[in-house]
Amino acid sequence: MTTILTKLVARTLLIPSILIALAIMFKGYSDVGDGFSAGVIAGLGVLLQAVAFGVDELDRLPLVRYAPAGTFVGLLLALGTVFAPWVGGKPLFTHSPGVGEHVTHFGTLEFITPVLFDVGVFLVIFGFVVGIIGAIGRAQTRVLRDRRRHDDARARQRAAAQQAGGGQ
Amino acid sequence: MTWNSALMLLTVSLAAPLVVVAAGAVRVRLAAPAAILMTSLAFLTVLASFGTDNEALSVAWISDWGVEFTIRLDGLARLYALLATGIGLAVVIYATAYLPLHLRHEHRPEGEIIRFFGYLLLFMGAMVGLVLAQDAILLFVFWDLTAIASFFLIGYDRDKDESRAAALMALLVTGISAIGVLIGALLAWHELGTFDVPTILASESTSTTMGFAAALIAFGALAKSAQAPLHFWLPKAMAAPTPVSAYLHSAAMVAAGVFLIGRMYPLMARFEWMTTAFVVVGLTSMLVGGVLALTRDVLKHILAYSTISQYGYVVFLFGLGGSYGVKAATFYVIAHALSKSALFLTAGAVTEATGQKNLSGVGGLARRMPVLAIGSGMAAAGLVALPLTIGFFKDEFYFAAAWDKGPAFGVAAVVGAALTFTYISRFWLGMFGPLGRNAAVPNAPSPLPGRLVWPIVVLGATVIAGGFWVRPFADLAAAGASVSELHHIELHGAYHLDTRPENLMALATWIAGLGLLATQRVWWPAAMAFSRLGRAIGPERIYGLTLGALNELSDRIHVFEVRDLRSRIASILLPAGVLVGVAVYVTPNSSEFEVGSIRWDDAPTVLMLGLASFAALAIALPRDHLNLALILSCVGYSLAVLYAFQGAPNVALVAVLIETLFTLLFIGMLILMPRSILRYETARRTEGFRLRRDALMAIISGVMAFSVVWGVLSKPAPTATAISEHIALTPDAHGKNIVTVILADFRGLDTAGEITVIAITLLGIISLLRIGRLR
Repeated sequence: MTTILTKLVARTLLIPSILIALAIMFKGYSDVGDGFSAGVIAGLGVLLQAVAFGVDELDRLPLVRYAPAGTFVGLLLALGTVFAPWVGGKPLFTHSPGVGEHVTHFGTLEFITPVLFDVGVFLVIFGFVVGIIGAIGRAQTRVLRDRRRHDDARARQRAAAQQAGGGQ
Repeated sequence: MTWNSALMLLTVSLAAPLVVVAAGAVRVRLAAPAAILMTSLAFLTVLASFGTDNEALSVAWISDWGVEFTIRLDGLARLYALLATGIGLAVVIYATAYLPLHLRHEHRPEGEIIRFFGYLLLFMGAMVGLVLAQDAILLFVFWDLTAIASFFLIGYDRDKDESRAAALMALLVTGISAIGVLIGALLAWHELGTFDVPTILASESTSTTMGFAAALIAFGALAKSAQAPLHFWLPKAMAAPTPVSAYLHSAAMVAAGVFLIGRMYPLMARFEWMTTAFVVVGLTSMLVGGVLALTRDVLKHILAYSTISQYGYVVFLFGLGGSYGVKAATFYVIAHALSKSALFLTAGAVTEATGQKNLSGVGGLARRMPVLAIGSGMAAAGLVALPLTIGFFKDEFYFAAAWDKGPAFGVAAVVGAALTFTYISRFWLGMFGPLGRNAAVPNAPSPLPGRLVWPIVVLGATVIAGGFWVRPFADLAAAGASVSELHHIELHGAYHLDTRPENLMALATWIAGLGLLATQRVWWPAAMAFSRLGRAIGPERIYGLTLGALNELSDRIHVFEVRDLRSRIASILLPAGVLVGVAVYVTPNSSEFEVGSIRWDDAPTVLMLGLASFAALAIALPRDHLNLALILSCVGYSLAVLYAFQGAPNVALVAVLIETLFTLLFIGMLILMPRSILRYETARRTEGFRLRRDALMAIISGVMAFSVVWGVLSKPAPTATAISEHIALTPDAHGKNIVTVILADFRGLDTAGEITVIAITLLGIISLLRIGRLR
């Protein structure tokens, strides 16, 4: 069912989907998008790979292999931005630079702590989607293999029964 | 925060379990010495506190509600802390020898000793915290902590059904009654606006509210002290290892109950019905415990019923009040704890040496184990109030208080004391003396390690020392009673060789006790009949029936609820729908549901909503799961387009992405479902009654959701102001995209919580799919 065309499209779309995700995330404060949508977009790019090439193929992409573990890196990063001001004696979640202070720009990218938080959200969501795709895919492989084995065994039994019936 | 003895004591006691567990983690053998070290340290801290300051130490805790972390080492706290740590030390030393033997009998690993000492010292820490606490909420926290620690201690032999049932029973009885203490504290706060215990005690309010508060606190205290009719958990709790029984049921857990009465006495003594209740409950417990102790054969059960009876004395004395009652009660606690802990430890030592748990299995052990016999003999002599023991004075004060109140109370007191004399004599003479039924034990008792004997001797010697030099004990009790009575109290004990009522009553007690011992055949059938009656219709049976019925009810609800997905959803949506319907019906809501006008530029909205509704209705039609998933996604996509039309590109983007992802995952999951189930579900037709029932449920929950959403949308005022505020603040947060700024800044804590949940869910799903059986 996976033709060469789907494979071609899937492979071609992986890098763009991740690039779009990153762009959406970093521009999130000034344009449509945020870490959450970015995570899902990148995750859908990976889902396409899983559909076209099979789940086992996912492990060969380094970015994808470490994504589920990245969930917890992202969580730590996000919680770090939440608690870092608290350690410094400020209320939780005090972003810097503060109100009215100067913000360094790089194109539309702003160097502010909410972006760091959003990167954490992105990692969590991306890891979540990839992790679930992997888990479901692997479970599917297992289930389908077991079913095939079960069907084969039944077919063999039936054949043996027929043979025995024919021998009489 | 300045360090004073109260804070030092609390720190040492609460650090003790942590130190023990840490030492045990390094090496199992270190746990026991660490326990001895920490308990000694706590004991020495109490001893060193004599003559030092006893200022209250207060730290703001939940200042909005007036809850403060206030501790103070006053006379009452010092007395109970001394018992908890001093007897605790004897018990811990004993346990260092007992527990390894116990674990070997039970074929359990050596390392479990860490758990034992951890919980035992946690209990000690909770007890110390309880007696120090001067804030009603703090007091309740430690009160509950003792119940939790006792649950793990009583259920220490977790492989045995009996232990687990006993632990549960103790937790339910003392834990549920503890709620009474909390409610009492809240009622007092409602009345007086403070949780500060001295302020509550100093107020002289006798309002109904304060009456309820006093009654509820007393209820918690009496249940903890195993007073009738909630006494039944205590004998069951004897399933615990002996050191636990010795500690919890002489100096700590049951003592916590009478401690609370002592602490709150000025509140309770205000109400005459309260003191009358104490007299009734105390007398009942004294007599019921005494009679049942006569009928029991298991060594620890005799002592358990004895404890019920002895704490009955104390409650009785609190009820008597008067010039003697409170100080007699306070002194009684000291004398009883010393003797009773020694006797519990003796029961454990005898069982360890002979392998017998029953009185009928032992006898004549005095010659084989003379040191143990003398040590426990001194303790038993104290409990039956022979002269030259501290126990003599406890009974003198007790008789004086009863006689003070009236001759009838005096007679009741003598009867109770005579029962004590009889069952304790039966207990000690049955083990060590000629009373034992088989004076010759079949197997010679095995020699005991010293640590199983000399803690008993030390406790027994203290009992005797108190008989010669009663002054320090009397001063201790007087200091405690002064706290309970809110004014200074003196207590003097001395021997008087004259015919004052106390002496005559003591004499009458001994004679009656000896008479009872000699006439066992006469009363035995009656006592046994009483015991059988208690088993048939007593409170323990009621407890069992109630627990069984509750279990049954819970099972039925559970079975109904989880029978299938349909009933699970119905059991949530249907009651919710009915409740919302009632709420909508009874609240005045004519203005809440508005129908606005539809203009031409609403056309895209109407179109997309129409599509979404059409898809939602169409979900009811297909039978196979793939089509279901696709139509479901159609609803979501229609809504996404709607968001886009409404000028919310960010929300629309998220909606499209989520819908795509979920539909794909949904279809992926369908492959995992066993084909037979999918086929069965597809082929199944719902007809007749079931169809009508399901349709009714669907309509009810749909109407509920509809009316709630309509009501909310008709009155968008509060959300509108919040949104305009967010819009106004967005430039300050260096942003242009309001949605992202809300997610990452204004409501960022919500997002942080949500991504934490997502990460945890991922762990759950992965482990479920990896090990779960889906075929």
